[in-house]
Amino acid sequence: MAISRESRAFRDISLSFDPHPVTKDLPILKNARAITRSVQNLVQTIPTERFFQPILGSDVRASLFDFVDFATASVIEEQIITTIDNFEPRVANVQVDVDPQPDNNTFNVTIFYDIVGQDFPTQEFSFLLEATR
Amino acid sequence: MPFTKFTNLDFDQIRSQIKDYLRANSTFTDFDFEGSNFSVLIDTLAYNTYITAYNSNMIVNESFLDSATLRENVVSLARNIGYVPRSRSAAKARVNLTVQTTSTSPTMTLEAGLVCVGSVNESQFVFSVPENVTTTINSGTAKFNDLDVCQGTYLKKQFVVDGSLDQRFILQNPFIDTSTIVVKVKGASDSGEGREYELAQNILNLNKNSEIYLLQEVQDERYELLFGDGYFGKKLENGSIITVSYITTDGIDGNGAKNFAYSGRVTDNLGNVIVPSSDVTISTTSKAQNGGEIESIDSIKYFAPRIYSSQYRAVTARDYEAIIQSIYPNTESVSVVGGEELDPPEFGNVIISIKPKNGDFVSDFDKESIATKLKNYSLSGINQKIVDLKVLFVEIDSAVYYNNAKVSNINDLKSKVSSTLNTFATANINQFGGRFKYSKLCQTIDSTDSAITSNITRVRIRRNLKTLINTSAQYELCYGNKFRMDKNGFNIKSTGFGLSGKSGTFYFTDTPGENGKGVISVVKESNDKGEYEVVIKSAGTVDYVKGEILLNTITFSSTVKENNIVEIQAVPDSNDVIGLKDLYLSFSVADSEINMIKDTITSGEQISGVGYKVTSSYLNGELKRG
Repeated sequence: MAISRESRAFRDISLSFDPHPVTKDLPILKNARAITRSVQNLVQTIPTERFFQPILGSDVRASLFDFVDFATASVIEEQIITTIDNFEPRVANVQVDVDPQPDNNTFNVTIFYDIVGQDFPTQEFSFLLEATR
Repeated sequence: MPFTKFTNLDFDQIRSQIKDYLRANSTFTDFDFEGSNFSVLIDTLAYNTYITAYNSNMIVNESFLDSATLRENVVSLARNIGYVPRSRSAAKARVNLTVQTTSTSPTMTLEAGLVCVGSVNESQFVFSVPENVTTTINSGTAKFNDLDVCQGTYLKKQFVVDGSLDQRFILQNPFIDTSTIVVKVKGASDSGEGREYELAQNILNLNKNSEIYLLQEVQDERYELLFGDGYFGKKLENGSIITVSYITTDGIDGNGAKNFAYSGRVTDNLGNVIVPSSDVTISTTSKAQNGGEIESIDSIKYFAPRIYSSQYRAVTARDYEAIIQSIYPNTESVSVVGGEELDPPEFGNVIISIKPKNGDFVSDFDKESIATKLKNYSLSGINQKIVDLKVLFVEIDSAVYYNNAKVSNINDLKSKVSSTLNTFATANINQFGGRFKYSKLCQTIDSTDSAITSNITRVRIRRNLKTLINTSAQYELCYGNKFRMDKNGFNIKSTGFGLSGKSGTFYFTDTPGENGKGVISVVKESNDKGEYEVVIKSAGTVDYVKGEILLNTITFSSTVKENNIVEIQAVPDSNDVIGLKDLYLSFSVADSEINMIKDTITSGEQISGVGYKVTSSYLNGELKRG
């Protein structure tokens, strides 16, 4: 069977590796989901974690044990923006909101961005940064 | 599918190959982006491939003598062709010990172990003897004459043979001088430490009763002893006690110790300790020398195949080179010339010159010892003559032009040039059969610093005439290079010397004649006006073509230079100088002249060239050297 490729589409595999319930195929992340996953990966990668690419990733984890306040939140914000600017060329107009929640000892991070060259609305996704030990 | 290079050892290249493959064969597209999930998989794959490729490469490299890099593997591969790398060697000094005693014992024994302490460069080094030395006591005085003491600490190790197949006899200390190892084996019927076993280099002439051991280097520069198997060499009995004594040394650091303080232990014929009745006096016959480091990996790679190809037989010049290096580790360079190549020929002789690592001459003792050891390897009917080194010094007189704008300190620049020349000398010239390459030298000077704009370098060659003071003798000096013959003379120059029965300082000079030959005259500097008068018109001849000076019978009474040396220099016809036959070429940076001259044109001070200091490309017309 001939393999067809869609121009300017982004396709990534899902690291969950859960097979499709019907076709039993490997799950595929497409376009906006693929990029969202990528941004999340970048933010959560610790520098020196990847082989031979010591600067890849962001150092947000280093800030998790600091005071959960707006000063730390601003540092995390800065780190996330720098990381995405450096390593994810598919997105632009990145905005990051980091909301410190001292009672829960977590930061609620929301990232907004536009996908370059594709007709998608501004993307948004959130995740919690929490010191787990 | 793109072309795949299977030999990549670079992580990034492996990764880009995987991406190329995916680009052509996959429905996925995100592998180019570092944050993607696919990128994580690719990194894992590439890392896996990288580790496998690296391991394969190391395994293959380490399997061959030429490419192995780990000492353990190089040594092991060399062992396969019967080569035992040289160990560290202890610096040895020869001393005379005089001990006064009131003991009535007929003999006195200096026990193996610490004998004295010497110092080098404000560091203390201990000197030991590997075995007991016994001498007689005459009128309360015991003299240990010509005692060789080795720099290092004397140690003993005992093994009990348990008969198991996997028992190994490894000496755990590194830095052992293996020539000091003494092995004694005590069987059930032996007394004391037992019988001494000899080191065997190979299994020739061995039988089941030979009391021998073999030595091999194992991990971490340590040594293992191997004993006979009952066919080649005597097999060890169960319960035997092996006592191994040896000296661990600081190697090259111990060289140069001259003054020693006694710290030894002496006993009488019954083994009781003798306390000397007064201070033990130590006089030094020869200072500590010949200490050396363990053989380097490069040296093992170079000599192992050569020793193997020589098959322990000294036939070709290369065989001699390899064998002399193994029996005299202090060798820096060896020249071997067959007698038939000499003028006049000396058939049946092999002339050997050795340049030791520390110094210029091999001592008579070492020469004798090398000659004796060489006999085991050489062909019958061939005589080896170990002769003193004939050094042909190359000196330069260099005018180095520099751009003033780029220099902060001229002396620093000058030292930088000297240091570059020293490196150049060691790396390229100082050896037998060496060649002084003029163009390379000029290039080296120019590239020392960006401030150097050019250089004018003039070359001269020199040999040192070792004179016999107050003894009439004829002398011959061969330079092995054609001399430049200026018809006005001033080609041959010497340092000053005194002549028997005459007062004043004299010099050699030359008068060119016909057919590339000339006459050597002796001249004396007049007291006034710096003029010279001829004292002996025909004191010898010079052959400009062969590069040879012959002096008729002459009696020197003194020399201006130390050690009865008269330095005689000539100008080579070619700026490239070779070390012919047994001449050891040495680039003497210390005797060379480096003059720093400001390049007024390049630095912009006088762009018209007015005031530019021009240097002649030819040497000066002075009559005497210096």
